[in-house]
Amino acid sequence: MVAVMENIVKRYKAHTALDHMNLTIQPGETLGLLGPNGAGKTTAIRVLTGLTGADAGNTRLFGAEMRGAALAVKRRIGVVPQDLALYEALSARDNLNYFGRLYGIRGAELKKRVDEVLEVLGLSDVAGKAPKKFSGGMKRRLNIGCAIIHKPELLILDEPTVGIDPQSRNHILDFVEGMTKQGTTVLYTSHYMEEVERVCSRVLIMDAGHVIADGTVEDLTKAAIFEESVTLEVRENAPGLCESVKKVQGVQRCEADGRSLSVTSAAGSQNLARILECAAPYIILSVAAKRPTLEDAFLALTGKKLRDTGGEGQ
Amino acid sequence: MNAFFATFKVGFKFLWKSPVSVAILIAFPIMLIFILGSALSGYISADIELDPVPVAVAAEEGGAFRSFLQNPDIAPFFDLTYTSRAEAAALSEKGDVVCAVVEREDGSLEVLSPPGSGFSARIALSVFDSYQRVGAAFAIRGPEGGDIPGFSVEDMPLGKRVPNATDYYAVTMLVMILLYTGTNGTELFHKGMLSDTGSRAQTAPVTKPVLIGGLLAASTVTSFLQGMVTFVFTGVVYGVYWGERIPLVLLTLFAVVLFSQAFCIFLLLLFRSPGAVNGTVQAIFWVMTFVSGGYTKVSFGAADAVFQYVPNAMAHTVIFGSIYGGNEAKMGLYLAILFGLGLVFYIASFLLGRRRLA
Ligand SMILES: Nc1ncnc2c1ncn2[C@@H]1O[C@H](COP(=O)(O)OP(=O)(O)O)[C@@H](O)[C@H]1O
Ligand SMILES: [Mg+2]
Repeated sequence: MVAVMENIVKRYKAHTALDHMNLTIQPGETLGLLGPNGAGKTTAIRVLTGLTGADAGNTRLFGAEMRGAALAVKRRIGVVPQDLALYEALSARDNLNYFGRLYGIRGAELKKRVDEVLEVLGLSDVAGKAPKKFSGGMKRRLNIGCAIIHKPELLILDEPTVGIDPQSRNHILDFVEGMTKQGTTVLYTSHYMEEVERVCSRVLIMDAGHVIADGTVEDLTKAAIFEESVTLEVRENAPGLCESVKKVQGVQRCEADGRSLSVTSAAGSQNLARILECAAPYIILSVAAKRPTLEDAFLALTGKKLRDTGGEGQ
Repeated sequence: MNAFFATFKVGFKFLWKSPVSVAILIAFPIMLIFILGSALSGYISADIELDPVPVAVAAEEGGAFRSFLQNPDIAPFFDLTYTSRAEAAALSEKGDVVCAVVEREDGSLEVLSPPGSGFSARIALSVFDSYQRVGAAFAIRGPEGGDIPGFSVEDMPLGKRVPNATDYYAVTMLVMILLYTGTNGTELFHKGMLSDTGSRAQTAPVTKPVLIGGLLAASTVTSFLQGMVTFVFTGVVYGVYWGERIPLVLLTLFAVVLFSQAFCIFLLLLFRSPGAVNGTVQAIFWVMTFVSGGYTKVSFGAADAVFQYVPNAMAHTVIFGSIYGGNEAKMGLYLAILFGLGLVFYIASFLLGRRRLA
């Protein structure tokens, strides 16, 4: 087990940021930590990395108790903080050099690693420039670079794509997938479910300081969503169609409204092809199938929308 | 060690690229050009001309000492009362004069000063005191209240320059500049420890003392170097006389740097915002410079006894003393207090930080 948090409680005065939080990270997996702003994701990372002590519970990283001074363990993790954590007036290279040296890398090896990281993140051309002159996306990439200079076994990213353009976001997501392929264990925090759905092999959904669901994206959506719906539109009225559709496995309801047909099935039925087979004799004008997403799962679990709890960046 | 030097280096670069610190570096010397320029042009010096030092003298008419005192290089510094030995002693006792100089039968001189304070101790009482009286100190200097054996005109250090307004302001302004460089410490400590960048550094396999040590070393060295720019600048451009005991002057300046770094970091841990600290020290250091006579001549009556322990006042006293001569014991004490204050604020910061950085 790469990381374990057991029943962690963390209070800020009267406010309980983590309320019996549990988490395990398996070697090699990309674990998504999904939750709205204020759910406690950042706090969980601060506790996990020893930046903050917990009021109760245990944290272990690579089998060792995590305390502020667990240097041998710290060497094996890389943390990309939610907010930019750079020396903005110093060059990108200076920043990478600094964080590299903090991990004990030096000399020719440091230079080689810095060049590699600049290359991977597409920052080679601006190595000598100060990040304060960078675009948001470039700053985010450098923010990541400073966490991977020492080739961590566990990479923790706290909302690494907040507030950037789609291209940079794609670059970062590709990069995370690349890290996973190389065998790095990743903890990826986000409140964008598309990202988590794309890069994560397993997802924890967090709300109000603890984990409310744990599983693969598929598991979670299946477990949380009870129905899927398909809407068909045909050219002429098709009186018998509803009856035959109802016979398809998984279909629970079918309602015809003129030339439009609403079909509701049990979650995970995967019966769209069969429904279309039934409709094959007719001319189909449009098909709209709504696949359940993590967003739906979250809504079903908490009664809240993921993103309606505040703006970006917190 | 690698991590310490890496932190030192990054902190050093941070400060030399930070607008605040560059402003200190550039704005202060410009301010000095203005102030010292005014002082040189007589605009300021008119206000702080040396007051003649009241001294009672009991000496043989037509003797060597009287003719020495009539020397035009010296005479303006004194407000002399020629009187009898007994009367001179009484005036000194009452404090009407800063000291009485009595010529003995054998021609040697005895300096009688008010109880509990040798003449040189009086010099050190306040900066303005010292400014006004350093001139006199050339003429009458010796062990506290004791003899000046083998007195002769040639032995008097008249070859040394008498301080003018520029020399005076160079000292008080440099001390003030070094106090303000404490904000270097605030900026860097905030960035390197308390900000998100600092948090990230703390996720690295480095202990807090190494990080903090690297940052403090960087801000201390930077601040001291910034002070040195002014030090050299005043010496070269204005010909300010920094005396013959440069190491002691530099040690005092260093003590001021340590104190201001420690004080500012303490405030940072208290307020958590560099902006709040900067605002506070702007006010505090201004008042401190004012009460210790940094800008203009002020006396606070009974409060002067307390204000002599204001850090700038102590630094002024030690520096003036080392340049023009002063009470060594007092200088040593003040220097020790200055270093002690730095230590006290570092310890207080450590205790506060242990709670705040937990
Ligand atoms: N230093 C702090 N002091 C007080 N409250 C805090 C602090 N840090 C976080 N919180 C509170 O704890 C809760 C969880 O915050 P956080 O972990 O940042 O959530 P997330 O990262 O999921 O958005 C929030 O309600 C936040 O206001
Ligand atoms: Mg967060």
